[in-house]
Amino acid sequence: MKFLLIKSMAIGAVALFSTVNASAETLRVGMECTYAPFNYKTAEGELAGYDVDVAKGVAAIIGEEFEYVCQEWDGMIPALLANKFDLIIASMSITEKRMKKIDFSGPYRFSTGQVVGSKKTEMNLFDADGNPIADNFDGLKVGLERATTYASWFADKLPGADVVLYDSSESVYLDLQNGRVDLIMTNPMKAHLKFLSKDDGAGFEFKGPVVDEEKYFGIGVGIGMRQGQDELKEKLNSALKEMINSGDLESYAKKIFPFKLHKDEWGQ
Amino acid sequence: MEVLNGWWDDYFWGALIVAKVFTASLSLMVLFGLIGAGAKLSENRVAQKIGGAYTVIFRGTPEILVILLLYYGSAIVLTSIVQVFNPDVRFVDVPPFWAGTIAIALIVGSYATETFRGAFLGVNPGSVEAARALGMSPLQTFIYIRIPEMWRIALPPFGNHMLSLIKDTALISIIGLNETLFVAKQAITVTGKPFTMYIVVGLIYLGFSTIITLAIMGVEKYGNRTTVGAR
Repeated sequence: MKFLLIKSMAIGAVALFSTVNASAETLRVGMECTYAPFNYKTAEGELAGYDVDVAKGVAAIIGEEFEYVCQEWDGMIPALLANKFDLIIASMSITEKRMKKIDFSGPYRFSTGQVVGSKKTEMNLFDADGNPIADNFDGLKVGLERATTYASWFADKLPGADVVLYDSSESVYLDLQNGRVDLIMTNPMKAHLKFLSKDDGAGFEFKGPVVDEEKYFGIGVGIGMRQGQDELKEKLNSALKEMINSGDLESYAKKIFPFKLHKDEWGQ
Repeated sequence: MEVLNGWWDDYFWGALIVAKVFTASLSLMVLFGLIGAGAKLSENRVAQKIGGAYTVIFRGTPEILVILLLYYGSAIVLTSIVQVFNPDVRFVDVPPFWAGTIAIALIVGSYATETFRGAFLGVNPGSVEAARALGMSPLQTFIYIRIPEMWRIALPPFGNHMLSLIKDTALISIIGLNETLFVAKQAITVTGKPFTMYIVVGLIYLGFSTIITLAIMGVEKYGNRTTVGAR
């Protein structure tokens, strides 16, 4: 179903790019709105989180109005290509695979993954150098979010694992608690803040080191846009650099975490 | 229950969207069902084929697929069409509300087509003959004889279609409509309480379906008020 969808998107996208782009309007930004602490809606209905702060910071610098659209993760790239919005600011990692369909700005956050499992089970999943031991993953039930960097990393590196795919990160955590999966791979910052430090996550722990293999996790999280918009890309890149150099980006991270989520050299 | 503080208003607006989608798709569903039944019962071969294709396609594909294709596909198709006439247009957008409403109305309408067709065929031929003997025109027969008999036959299965319709509204969150299920997902990511949030959604839908069931019962009672005892 998804393949068909993406294929039809691609065909449609060609039709779109071949036409004249009209004048600049308000830029519409797509995000999940259900991915705390990066982008979510508070009980008051306000959008909040690191991605939201970044989006607002960029908007202020480039002097454009941003309008926000909530979109499920699965359909994020198709919706961008179908012109439902113009930018993706949704913690999306810059990967080679995605670059075939869309363009990215420079990175504004690390992109990493880490596995989480029950404290009760002994698992010897990674060697001393931090590489996964493939044999020990065989037959292990692993919960992952569909269409993520984690899913492609597992598919390529650990085909022996019994992967279960979910539509949202919340369902992944839920089935880990239910015991339907033995292990999950997810964003370590989110896992620490929203799960392991809470009552629900008390029986669970990280089962390996942070994984950030560039081939799968990319150089970081960036702003996605349709291809062929070099002028917009330039504007976004210089805005992000300005935010890194002025310390604004660091302050957004420190609202949530005790550390920053970017490298200073990205501002060069 | 404290975790729900602050989310009630979001659930209320979500429920309002469910109600809006339901009302709009209900009207469209009846329309599609009647057109479909008309096409399948017509003597025109082409109309029969189109009606047949409609029920085969929409009864035979997953609902979620129809919603996704209509939402993403229609924007691209409409844009390409409009750009032929006016190349300056960047895109034509179909809002998720209408894409979702039309999608579920088309799906449930295909089931309603069969229900309506069956109900029209179930009209007592004796009544139609009697009408003709009394000198009624075909249009009069249709309005005064066929329709009143037909809707009474169609009502019980039609109630089921309405329940399918209300439940299908939950699927629309996939294309970004802020209905109750979407509110629940937003609330879960902030509060980390999935069961409470999903149970509220369940209760809202139970509320809606109870109202529908009671309404159908009421209408059925009204429809049968003259025939009770005669059967």
